[in-house]
Amino acid sequence: MSLLMLILCQLAHSGVGDKAALINRNSYTCTGFSLLTAGFFIAAAGYFIFQLIWLAALGICMLILASILIALGRTIPKLSPEVCGLLLETGIENIASLIEELGIKTKAIYLPSSLASDCPRAFLPLHSNGSRPQITKALPRRLFARYGTNPEDIGLLISTIGSTAVTMLETKPGATATELESALTSLFSGRLGVADRTRVICYNGTIKVEIDKPRLENGTSWSQQCLGGPLATVVASVAAEAWNKPMTISREERNNGKYFIELEVGK
Amino acid sequence: MKIFNRYILTVASILLLSTVLLIAAGQNSLERYFTVYVIEALVITELYVYLNQKARRGLNYVSVLLFGGFAFILCFQILKILL
Repeated sequence: MSLLMLILCQLAHSGVGDKAALINRNSYTCTGFSLLTAGFFIAAAGYFIFQLIWLAALGICMLILASILIALGRTIPKLSPEVCGLLLETGIENIASLIEELGIKTKAIYLPSSLASDCPRAFLPLHSNGSRPQITKALPRRLFARYGTNPEDIGLLISTIGSTAVTMLETKPGATATELESALTSLFSGRLGVADRTRVICYNGTIKVEIDKPRLENGTSWSQQCLGGPLATVVASVAAEAWNKPMTISREERNNGKYFIELEVGK
Repeated sequence: MKIFNRYILTVASILLLSTVLLIAAGQNSLERYFTVYVIEALVITELYVYLNQKARRGLNYVSVLLFGGFAFILCFQILKILL
């Protein structure tokens, strides 16, 4: 039990509570080496001195856990969450200012990489007549991209959090609810650690996504009204890439520790 | 990092629980304890499919190490039977 308490204390001390400490001192590696030393002495003492098999077994148990902790400690990113947050906030603020200054009120269209040059991006039409613009060919990789022949057929083509998140996926998901669900859970739970589970339902050109225990708050700024919340942005980008079709976030709702996103699949 | 913490706590709890159960069952063979630990660690690692690729690569080395230990015990037991 003391072993479990030691791990719990170490994780609570730096892994869950203070993320900065986790990055600077890497508590996984520290705990790993502490367990390695303690485990070695307990196993040796239990087997050779006290001749207690259960004590030696407990030492081996500690050595196994130590090797796991050391292996995981090597995978922790070098940059602190504070630095990442700083970079992210600066980028988001610039995009938000641009959207506000241009007076864009339309919802963003999330384009797959085949329609937005190299990676999935969000497209914000500058002029809107109520109908969604039909984007059939790949847009040039520019901030102001033209999608039609009319002078008003122009919009902003921007990278979002989702554009970068898609590159973190090991493989491109297929256009099925199961594959999208697996890709989103792996991304949110395994890579980013911002939510627990994801459930996806697809029907009649609509994709409904339910995210359990989201740990990212949504803002109420103008730009977020156009682009959607951070999690919705990631979901829309991944779905656009999976379906290879433009996507629009039609609804976002947070309720009882769950986050509901509804996407509309474009033609 | 929540998934890492959950994974470590699962492995630690299962290993400790099996130690208690094996002690209660009166097991007095270190090889048996080790074999049970190896199987449990490998199964739990496989069940955590959403661990990122880098973590999985690191855990693969641990799995190889554990399997090496298991193979050594197996060879030792076979030699004991043969000789």
